[in-house]
Amino acid sequence: MRIALRELRRRPSRFATATTILALIAVLLLFLGGLLDGLVRDATGALRAQDADLVVYSSTARDSFFRSRITPEERARVEAVDGVEAVGGLGVALLGGRVPGNGPRDLADLAVFGYELPPDGVGDPPAPGEGYADEVLRDDGIEVGTEVLVGPARTPVTVVGFVADTNFSGQGSLWVAADTWRSVQNANRPDATVGPGVFQSLVVQAAGGVDPATLAGAIDDATGGATRTLTLDEAVAALPGVEQQQSVFNQIIGVTVVVAIVVVALFFALLTVERTALYGVLKAIGARSRTLFAGVVTQALLVTVVASAIGTALAVALDLAVPAGAIPFVLTPSRVLASVAVLLLASVLGCAFSLRRVLRIDPAAAIGSAP
Amino acid sequence: MFLALREMRRTKARFGLVVAAVALLVFLIFIQLTLQNGLLTAFVGAIRNQSAPVLVYSVDGRRNLQGSVITPPLEAAITAVPEVGRAGRIGEGTFTATVDGDLADVALVGYEAEGLGSPTALTAGRFPERDGEVVANEADADLGLGLGDTVALEPGGLELTVVGQAEDINLQVTPTLFTTYDTYVAAVRSVNPDARDPLPNAIALTPAEGVTPDQLSAAVNAADPEADALPRAAAADETPGVAQVRQSFQVIFLLYALVVPLVTGLFFLIITFQKANALTLLRAVGAPARRLVAALLVQVVIVMAAGIALGTALYAPLSVQRVGSIPLRFETRAVVVWTVVLMLLGVLSSLFSARRVLRIDPVEATTGAGVQV
Repeated sequence: MRIALRELRRRPSRFATATTILALIAVLLLFLGGLLDGLVRDATGALRAQDADLVVYSSTARDSFFRSRITPEERARVEAVDGVEAVGGLGVALLGGRVPGNGPRDLADLAVFGYELPPDGVGDPPAPGEGYADEVLRDDGIEVGTEVLVGPARTPVTVVGFVADTNFSGQGSLWVAADTWRSVQNANRPDATVGPGVFQSLVVQAAGGVDPATLAGAIDDATGGATRTLTLDEAVAALPGVEQQQSVFNQIIGVTVVVAIVVVALFFALLTVERTALYGVLKAIGARSRTLFAGVVTQALLVTVVASAIGTALAVALDLAVPAGAIPFVLTPSRVLASVAVLLLASVLGCAFSLRRVLRIDPAAAIGSAP
Repeated sequence: MFLALREMRRTKARFGLVVAAVALLVFLIFIQLTLQNGLLTAFVGAIRNQSAPVLVYSVDGRRNLQGSVITPPLEAAITAVPEVGRAGRIGEGTFTATVDGDLADVALVGYEAEGLGSPTALTAGRFPERDGEVVANEADADLGLGLGDTVALEPGGLELTVVGQAEDINLQVTPTLFTTYDTYVAAVRSVNPDARDPLPNAIALTPAEGVTPDQLSAAVNAADPEADALPRAAAADETPGVAQVRQSFQVIFLLYALVVPLVTGLFFLIITFQKANALTLLRAVGAPARRLVAALLVQVVIVMAAGIALGTALYAPLSVQRVGSIPLRFETRAVVVWTVVLMLLGVLSSLFSARRVLRIDPVEATTGAGVQV
């Protein structure tokens, strides 16, 4: 073990190329993971923030807000189901917003949410014509007190506060009272008008001790199949593209990890070949195969730790260099830790390819061929 | 040369590992190229492959067809521009439909006249002539959207029959149906009893004689600050999300393009060190340096070629599958371009090893110093 560490200290250049490659692979893993996290965060924040157990859509809506319509009659049936603690209406309109001081073509991308049950971090529904804006909208020049003119109908909404991590479909959310949302929707989207009391969906809080999945079935039974009720996690996963993005990105990340394993295997297999004679001598004077292999693993882990540190620094630099909104990239501590853990595991697995060669070294033969 | 090939034959595992690493990287690059192109085509194919040279959105739409609403005053201002040849409304919405017995998402694009938002060309069948007729994306035939298939919009049950097929006409990664504007309006009304008459989402324009699409776009934008006119290609490229997808993939490709030569460079550098004594001896018995470098380059080319071939073989069967709603296809041009780029990068990466071979001093055969670091 000591020899392995000493070699790393004395001849770091020997490990430089492998470290560089692994650092690049670390950047790749962090970039791919950060991209996935950013895409999912920007698409799902508004639903993840809901202080509810279930989301109710029309059965024909394919879990889309924009195609779902819940009538007051259907809502009454949902409210009457045993185990339902509270029900709130929810609707959203994706529109452009004109911000005072910005150019006539420089609009903010808005997801105007009308709500009744406050999501986590969002206050009670504000007064008519007022709204809470997501923090990302600060980049568009929106501040507390700004009157945003929403949609082609220029429906005015005054921002009275900010909330965090509530984006939807990549757009900054604006949380308004149900009636304000209805007036925004009806003024700006004549093709998607909603009648009095109609919402696109309902969020439902289950009473204590009630299983949300069981309650979901009871709600759909109570509405005679007019609704499709999902748990919050299911509703988040059902948002367009979320599951597909996660599946594709995780597959790419998986193959990239396999590349990391192959790179580590290649590098340390070659080093082991180079050290065959040295290992033979060490074995001849009493070193055990286990000790020699532990040295290889130690070197691989240290190379990976250094590479991960460099990779993380580069990924952070990339995060800082990317202009806001250009790429949906989010680097979280959990993503960094997970990626480093995966790389460390890959390095140990990669080293395992050298184990057989270390075990096969015959001290007598090795001494005979030693230079 | 003979030595290079013999060495590869005798140490198959060693060279096999580097070929596997290159193959996996090549596979990743190719499959992501295909994903990128497939995603963009499925995302904005309907805009790229519609027939109007210029599309006009409302500024509020933020260049998103579904988000754009053309108010009557804006429509009047657009059609009054002297550079306009012909103009027609385009409406677009996403609907739930019963397709082949199951509920599915479909996007519906309604246009008023052929040449003003209709698909550029059909691969089979004909354009809609009556209400309820649609043109579907050719690749979606196996989803239940083939010629003669009928789908029903839900709720409401409005039936649409596929009478034509076109290539790459999907929008927002959703199976897309092109139809008459009247059918689109009927579809909106059928699924939402509360809906009023929908306003068009965009206006399709052709330029007057002697006017280019760029000139027409500029003229429309100058006529009304609410109008956002774009030539067809720009309308596709500037759809929200397209630039983000491109930039994200470019960063990924750049990183992979760096990893490939580093892996091959590292491999050949290490084996050059390992062969130091043998190479020095060869130089001492009269082998010219250029022959040793040529042997190295032969090995690099063989490793890269084998890696690229294996990577392409892994990629080929996957490139004709679907990922969700995204039909993929084998990207011949991208494969050729990346093969050349990777081959060049691989050869360049071996120059460090070649430099070390050239620095071998035959005299060192008597001292055992070998390759100088």
